[in-house]
Amino acid sequence: MALASTNGDDYTARLMDDMDPVLLDFVKTKVNSFVKWDLVRFFHENPHTTDTVENIAKYAGRNVTAVEPELEELVESGIMQKSLLGDTAVFSLETDEVMHALVDKFILACEDRHFRVKAVYHIIRGMR
Amino acid sequence: MDRVKTGISRLDEMLGGGLLRETANLVEGAPGTGKTTLGMQFIYNGIVQENEPGLIITFEEFPKQYYHDANAFGWDFRELEKKGLLKVIMTSPEVSRLDIESVGGMIEGHIDRMGVRRVVVDSMSHFSRLTQDPVELRSLEFNFINALKREGLTSILTRESPVLLGESTEDSDIGFVVDSYLILRYVEIESAIRKALLVLKMRGSDHAKDIRQYEITEQGIEVQSRFEGQEGILSGSPRRMADSFVEAFVKK
Repeated sequence: MALASTNGDDYTARLMDDMDPVLLDFVKTKVNSFVKWDLVRFFHENPHTTDTVENIAKYAGRNVTAVEPELEELVESGIMQKSLLGDTAVFSLETDEVMHALVDKFILACEDRHFRVKAVYHIIRGMR
Repeated sequence: MDRVKTGISRLDEMLGGGLLRETANLVEGAPGTGKTTLGMQFIYNGIVQENEPGLIITFEEFPKQYYHDANAFGWDFRELEKKGLLKVIMTSPEVSRLDIESVGGMIEGHIDRMGVRRVVVDSMSHFSRLTQDPVELRSLEFNFINALKREGLTSILTRESPVLLGESTEDSDIGFVVDSYLILRYVEIESAIRKALLVLKMRGSDHAKDIRQYEITEQGIEVQSRFEGQEGILSGSPRRMADSFVEAFVKK
């Protein structure tokens, strides 16, 4: 029974990994939470937004404490950039064309329900 | 005098040929009167008719909404952004103020790279959240406006009027700081709401003093004829001039 379950898990994992490897890596290593997904979507739709974490949290309709670490991780993974205006840290979408193209590709892929299901699966697995 | 045409022909006539270059121009009105539409039209016409790239700085409405609203008028803002002729920037008054006052900031970068000549700031009302002190607020607005002028920009700054009909009772000094002041108002005439536009002030230039009707059409703002035979337009509930004459003289 345990073996059957393991085989079933393997099958599910293989099925869920069945996507463009670039996007699979993007979901597993960069947009690996629902807050990041929301933020990436927001910045894709509003690409020239530059603001503080407090204001970005308001735009996203989320708590600052939830958004701040996620934004920092998006900076680390090269999707967002962080700059200082005096003592004020502001965040904006990375201007790199390759990263823009990758974000565009991810958002476009999200229009497909099957892709969304797979992305959700990987995010939940990553949260365990 | 070097004029910057809004591209709204009758408005440009009212302004003596257009806005003056490198000036700050306030457009005040209640929600839905078309402040943002006027601003978008100014930017769009600048790009397609005058080859003058533009920026829209928004403090409240998401850029996504601008792309959508502009599309309804047949203005493809996303395409203009791809061509490097436009940027719709979402930020906050505190960040934009720090940015434009610093050397080599984001806004300055866009201006240099794109050759931006026109900007819309939507809306200046949000500056009031930076301070409760009216003197400090005027100073903040003054510095921000001067920074836009320093960059050689001709700006349209919108401001929300809290009252739907009639004159605003809100105190603000921004009218003193700007170079021109346009008012958009709802007016009730014979049980119908119409829209009225007035150029209240234009520093350094003559301008039309009459109150004009306007509509928001599929092509954007369209300024029409002046209101005839009515007085008290800006009160929101004008009366026929004959009625007010009777009221003032005959009834007594």
